[in-house]
Amino acid sequence: MPERIRPVQKLAEAVAKCSVEAAEYGKCICADYNNVYQNKCAASFEKLRACVMSQKKK
Amino acid sequence: MAPRLHLLRTTRLLNRSYATASSSSTPPHFRVFDRRIKEAQRTRAALSPHSRTVDYLRDTIASRLAERLLLITRPLPHILDLGSGACHIAKSILTDPTLSELIPRINKLTCTDASSTLLHRDDTEPWAQSSPFELERLCVDEESILSDPTNFPYPADTFSAALSASSLHWINDLPSVLASVNTLLRPDSPFLGAMVGGDTLFELRTSLQLAELERRGGVSPHVSPMADTRDVGGLMDKAGFQLLTVDVEDFVVDYPDMARLCMDLGWMGEGNAVLGREMGGIGRDVWMAAEAIYKELHGNEDGTVPATFRIIYMIGWKKGAGQPQPLQRGTGQVSLKEALANVGPSGGKKEGNGEKDGNS
Repeated sequence: MPERIRPVQKLAEAVAKCSVEAAEYGKCICADYNNVYQNKCAASFEKLRACVMSQKKK
Repeated sequence: MAPRLHLLRTTRLLNRSYATASSSSTPPHFRVFDRRIKEAQRTRAALSPHSRTVDYLRDTIASRLAERLLLITRPLPHILDLGSGACHIAKSILTDPTLSELIPRINKLTCTDASSTLLHRDDTEPWAQSSPFELERLCVDEESILSDPTNFPYPADTFSAALSASSLHWINDLPSVLASVNTLLRPDSPFLGAMVGGDTLFELRTSLQLAELERRGGVSPHVSPMADTRDVGGLMDKAGFQLLTVDVEDFVVDYPDMARLCMDLGWMGEGNAVLGREMGGIGRDVWMAAEAIYKELHGNEDGTVPATFRIIYMIGWKKGAGQPQPLQRGTGQVSLKEALANVGPSGGKKEGNGEKDGNS
């Protein structure tokens, strides 16, 4: 029986394919990680989410 | 700026009281972990076909711990393995050639675990079938080992050594479990323990915290609170152990991504079992964000992500006759001040061990 691919694994693979967007979001958080608040990096997260969703559809 | 950190909705509140050093008869009531969920997770993990592929961590810790038994040269007729999982310590002793000299010194090894499925997972393995010493498996919760005589028939002063590898970090009331172990040991017998603690999984902890903070505006516990190296000495001392030794070792394991780390932890039966955890798992957005932050903040150059496991090893002896004792205060013959004056400010040379001095 082929192993079912878990949703988290699928998501991780999609994030890996969006490395540019992921790095941009990661840099935005890590630039000042002592002062993170809700939606601080909303713009770059939206880009990451859009990329991940398009990757998942493929 | 107003502090933005606050706890997200939790289904149950933590019920914790202050830790005190008093020796009053009322037992302290710590509830941090959900033992029932932990047992279910370990059972589910043992039933998974991946269970054996993630034995790498437990096997390594078990053999490192058993290695320390080599230094104790006396015979070990009856050993207790507390929270054994699938009898990893027995497996190490029976399959690791460097530990083979332990085998003739052992007559019986009693493995205990709260999950019967995990305990009996390797019953039919060749090493378990051909064991030269008696291998006994008892399904009993470590937390109630002394109060459950039907499942654990041994009285006090039974075991010639007790070991515990990678299960103590899920115990709610560590002082009382250590005290039970002390009771079960014969006088002048050692307890050797290994537990994850300190900065274990700090990469995962920080990534999830940052991701939840940015996406949802608060944090909830995903990685257990863990004992620090400093705490372990105090705990062992409070449980009545003598001649303590505590040391730490870091294992850094590289994973392809955060998802694989969490899947491996799940197959080890090491999922989140903190009582105050948020039910329903981590949302997709938080997961995505945490994956990106983990790579950016902690990731290796080759694209993998590291996960640190800090193992705290502890050795303590039950009080017994003829044990070396520290000298009384004030009985020192050598002045520490004078001895240190000869060493110089750099302190590179170490002389004496302070025990002679009695000034500690």
